[in-house]
Amino acid sequence: MNKIKKILELKNPVSISELDPNFKSEVIAHPDARGLAACFSCGTCSAGCPIHEVFSEYSPKKLAKMVRLGMRKQVLSSPYIWYCATCHNCEQRCPQNVSFFNVLNVLKNMAAKEGYAPSAWVEQTKQVVKTGIVFPTEENWIKKREELSLPSLKEDHPKLKKIIELTGVNKIKPRVDKE
Amino acid sequence: MNKYALFLGCTTPTKVLQYEVASRWVCKYFGIELIDIKDFVCCGMNQVNLSIETGLLMAAMNLALAETRGLNILTLCAACTGALAEAIERLEDKATRDEVNEKLRDIRLEYKGKVKVKHISRVLYEDIGVEKIKREVKRDLSGLRVAPHYGCHYLKPRSAFEEFEKPDNPKTLHELISATGAHPIEYETLGLCCGGKAFPVSEDLAHSLVQKKLDDFMNKEVDAMVLQCQTCYLMYSDQQKKIDEEYSKYNLPILLYPQLLGLALNANPIKELGLGLHRISPDKILAKIT
Ligand code: SF4
Ligand code: SF4
Repeated sequence: MNKIKKILELKNPVSISELDPNFKSEVIAHPDARGLAACFSCGTCSAGCPIHEVFSEYSPKKLAKMVRLGMRKQVLSSPYIWYCATCHNCEQRCPQNVSFFNVLNVLKNMAAKEGYAPSAWVEQTKQVVKTGIVFPTEENWIKKREELSLPSLKEDHPKLKKIIELTGVNKIKPRVDKE
Repeated sequence: MNKYALFLGCTTPTKVLQYEVASRWVCKYFGIELIDIKDFVCCGMNQVNLSIETGLLMAAMNLALAETRGLNILTLCAACTGALAEAIERLEDKATRDEVNEKLRDIRLEYKGKVKVKHISRVLYEDIGVEKIKREVKRDLSGLRVAPHYGCHYLKPRSAFEEFEKPDNPKTLHELISATGAHPIEYETLGLCCGGKAFPVSEDLAHSLVQKKLDDFMNKEVDAMVLQCQTCYLMYSDQQKKIDEEYSKYNLPILLYPQLLGLALNANPIKELGLGLHRISPDKILAKIT
C-alpha cells in the first residue's frame, strides 16, 4: 500500500501554468520533427531503445509525450536528451513514422541555442574549426603515421572554418550545471 | 578498375591506424584504387547534435570535394557512411540542395547530386564479391569462431541503404566473414549498438551497452569479434580493456574486417594489417590460423 502511495505521489508535479502551449507547434514546425504530430504514445520506440534498456528513466516515448504536453523547460534542460546513442532504432520501428531520432536532434538544437549543450559537443565543434576533425593534433599519431608510411593529414581547413562561422554554431556556449 | 576517394573520417587516421593500414592493403590487393583528398573534413555527424544545418553543410562540403574530382566515396567508419548517405538523400531535394549550395558558394564549392558513398565492406561485397574473395583465400581460418558486429550507421537510416541491405536481419558481413573461411556465429544481441555516440556524454551508459554485448559472448566459444567501424572498435576494444581493469572477465580480441580478410590472404599481420597496435593481443587468434 505504501508503495502504491509512493508511486502516486508525483516527485515534481508540473503545474499547468508552467506549460508552454506553443512548444509542440514550435518543434513540429521543423521539417525533421513534423512526424511527431502522428505519435500515439504506443511506446515501441522506448521498447527498442538500447539506452532505455540500460537506463529506464531515458524514454523516447516519455520525451515525445512531454513535448506534446508543452513541457518546454523540462525537455530542453533535461540532460537525458543528450544520452541518445544515435542507433536509429526508434525511427526504424515506429508504426507512425515519427522518426523520434530526428525529433530529438531538433530538440537538441533548440536546447543548444538556449545554453543547455553538453561541453563535450561544444568542444568538438570548436575543435573541428581548428583541425578539420574532432581531435587536436597529437605528435604521437603524426609519428605513427610516418612510421607506417601513411600520408600526412592536412591540419588547416579555412573552408570549413568559413562555413561553420556562417551557421553560427561556433558561438554556442556549453551548459553550466548548478549543483 | 575501381576507383574511390578514400574518406578517412576523424578517428581512424588518428586513433585506429591499424584499420587504415589493413584497408589500404586489402584495397590494393583487389585493385581498388584509393585517392586521398586532403581537404576532406569531419563528416558532420556529431555536429548534428548542435545544428542539423551545420552537419548537413559539412557532409555536403565533403561530397562536393569528391564530386569535383569525379569520384565516388569509400568510407571506413560506419557513422561517416550513415551521415554522408543521409546527406545525399536530403540533397536529392532541389530546394535543400539550392539552400546548401548558396552557402557552399562562399567557399567556391557546389554539390550537384552525383556522388555515391560506399563503406569498404560494401565495396568488397558488391564490387569484388564473395566468390572472388573465396578463390583468393590462402590460409586456413576455419578454426576461428567470430562474432560479427555491423555498426548502426552501416545500414541506417534504412531509406539510404535500401538498395543494398535492410538493417533488421543483416547477412552481408556474415557472408564476407564466411568467405575468409572463419565461422560467423549467430547471437541474440547482434543489433545492439556499441554506445560510441553516447560515450562523450555518459561513459557509464556506454559501458553498460558494451558489457551487454560482451556478456552475450560468454560461454559461446567466441575467438574474436569482427567489426567494420573504428568507433565500435574503440568501444569493444579499448573500453573493454577499461571495464576489464575492474572485472577482468572478457579479454576478447577484436578485429576489423579488412584485418580478418588480410589474414586469410596471407598479409603480414604486423606490417600490412597493423595487428601490433591492438590493445587486446590478437595472438590467440593467430595461433589458430594455419
Ligand atoms: S513508436 Fe512512434 S508512435 Fe509509438 S510512442 Fe514512439 S514515437 Fe510515438
Ligand atoms: S536513436 Fe537514440 S532514442 Fe532512438 S532508439 Fe537509438 S538511442 Fe534510443
